[in-house]
Amino acid sequence: MLTYFILIPIIIAVFLYMLACGKKGRAIAIIFQTGFVGAVYYVFTLTRQEEILTNIGGYDSILGIYLREDTMAAAFVLLTAIFFLIASIYSFREKDGRLFWFLIFIWQGASVGIFLTRDLFNAFVLIEVVTVVVAILIMFNRKNRSIYDGMFYLMLNVLVIKFYLLGLGYLYRMTGTMDIVIATEALVGMERSELVLPYALMMTAIALKCALLPMFSWLPKAHGSPAAPSAVSAILSGLHIKCTIYLFLRMQEMFSTLISAYEFFLVIGVLTGIVGFVLAMAQSDIKLILAYHTISQVGLIFAGLSMGSYYSHIGGMYHIVNHALFKGALFLSAGSIIKAYGTRDVYQIRGLLRRYPGLGIATLMAILGITGAPLFNGSISKYFMATDASAQMNVILIFMSLGTIISFVKYGSMLFGKSDAEPEAGVKVPAEQQIAVFALGFMCFFTGVFGVQSVQFLFNTSVTIDRLGYLEKAGIFFASAIAGFFIYKYYIKTSKLLKRLRSFEMGFRSACVCIGVFFAALLLTVGLVQYYY
Amino acid sequence: MNTGILNTDLIELICILVFFLGFYGLIATTNVIKSIVFLWVMEMAVIMFFLSIGYNIGIVAPIGTDLVPGQVADPLPQALMITTIVIGLAVTAVNITMLITLVRKHKSANWDILRKKSSES
Repeated sequence: MLTYFILIPIIIAVFLYMLACGKKGRAIAIIFQTGFVGAVYYVFTLTRQEEILTNIGGYDSILGIYLREDTMAAAFVLLTAIFFLIASIYSFREKDGRLFWFLIFIWQGASVGIFLTRDLFNAFVLIEVVTVVVAILIMFNRKNRSIYDGMFYLMLNVLVIKFYLLGLGYLYRMTGTMDIVIATEALVGMERSELVLPYALMMTAIALKCALLPMFSWLPKAHGSPAAPSAVSAILSGLHIKCTIYLFLRMQEMFSTLISAYEFFLVIGVLTGIVGFVLAMAQSDIKLILAYHTISQVGLIFAGLSMGSYYSHIGGMYHIVNHALFKGALFLSAGSIIKAYGTRDVYQIRGLLRRYPGLGIATLMAILGITGAPLFNGSISKYFMATDASAQMNVILIFMSLGTIISFVKYGSMLFGKSDAEPEAGVKVPAEQQIAVFALGFMCFFTGVFGVQSVQFLFNTSVTIDRLGYLEKAGIFFASAIAGFFIYKYYIKTSKLLKRLRSFEMGFRSACVCIGVFFAALLLTVGLVQYYY
Repeated sequence: MNTGILNTDLIELICILVFFLGFYGLIATTNVIKSIVFLWVMEMAVIMFFLSIGYNIGIVAPIGTDLVPGQVADPLPQALMITTIVIGLAVTAVNITMLITLVRKHKSANWDILRKKSSES
């Protein structure tokens, strides 16, 4: 049954490509996406009782390739389906539609495949498919430097997947299988020292694809690419990066009996979060602000997932979903804003709430979500992350959220005021784009108000929120919002250092050196812990 | 059985060496075409490693029907490596297509020059 979730989008992709995608073809695409969400939701309800298993090819356990949908995978697949539906509605009028829809549907099938597969080699094949699709979509409109960016993205991702393959080879030699579940059982009782090298190899690959600290140079190029359709940037930031975070979780689970480098990823996550928002503050291009912010949020997610307590894990998981919602809303609205105003400069765009109330309100809701304002979804996940955290960790979390607030004060200043670059009265944002953006923005609010229920619904576990603790967090938010506003006004706006950071860019060779550094650091950490263990 | 000169430990060592030699090449070269070639060097190391899994002196390739169990190399890695080679070929084709477009536009295949000229235009 699960095979069809991967196969049917790909078949539809070929079908749409042959149909040449007129108005009818696009209508078919939207109808299909709606149906897909329905089907995924049906399977989602089935997984609440027990996980669903599909054996491809019909061979027995060791030789067979399995697809499985358990609670975690089901939440991600549901997110994928909803996200692609909204992105499809948004880009209903996309120019050069044939190739665009073809690639989008292939991407959808492969993404679902990554979430469902239990076979690590399958995951490799699907990741490669997605990488090529994304590289083509990044340079879709072939503007200025987009081809260089596309090539940079492709080569770096292809390079790092070799690390993954070599690690997989070691794993196969030790366990005789590539199935995650069977490998987990087989790894019990193995020598820890033999696992250090494959662990470091595979985790380096995953970490680059998640854009962790020294290896994030490809992300702003890919996510902030001016040549990519806005829906593509939204899917990249909202969903694509979650595929690898999902793989990270699965992999950590698989190795956890012998190796758990949680401290390492906690430190790297916090550093990534801080570097991400510092670089985001320096930017003036709205898409680049959002792209750098994705790095920061990924760091926060990694910190949450690596803290090691039940509530912080739930917080990290819920933040993955929340980040998809608000970053999707922000990227989609940014696309409409760029088209309407004809500029990408955050200092020239003003008066959004007055000119385009629909877009403005959606943007405002998403900003409140990402900064963690009370009643919005970001506050719920940040609350869970901080619940069991130590005092130092709490301070770090507050600091990270202060950084987010500072850079979004700049982004939020687009909503008010007046400027010379405002569009003519006749420029309108298409209705379907407003609907898509507003749907995502509203979901930020909805999953915030019904936070506990949403967590229960998505992850099938029960959580509670302490009213007093939540109120305290709300107080901290307001205090840091005021602090953030003044820091922005009196320091960030005039800072020369940040202006210099704006032109910070890595070449391909430096990016390769960064991969080497990360690999060596991970290998040393895991190896040394092994030595003193 | 592991008594020949080419035992698995040696093959593993060679694979790791070639792999990181390719990685070093990527850091050292400024030419995009050479980078693509070095990616293949890394891929070859990975393929060689996979093929050496379960290899022993005296074992035959898993082709044909009259095979003795225990005397045949593991067929799974070999099948997987065919997939890997095909994927690598496709990715390289996309890569070279991009490179040709860039070279036509900027008349250079140097990473640094390409970056500079791309951000100017």
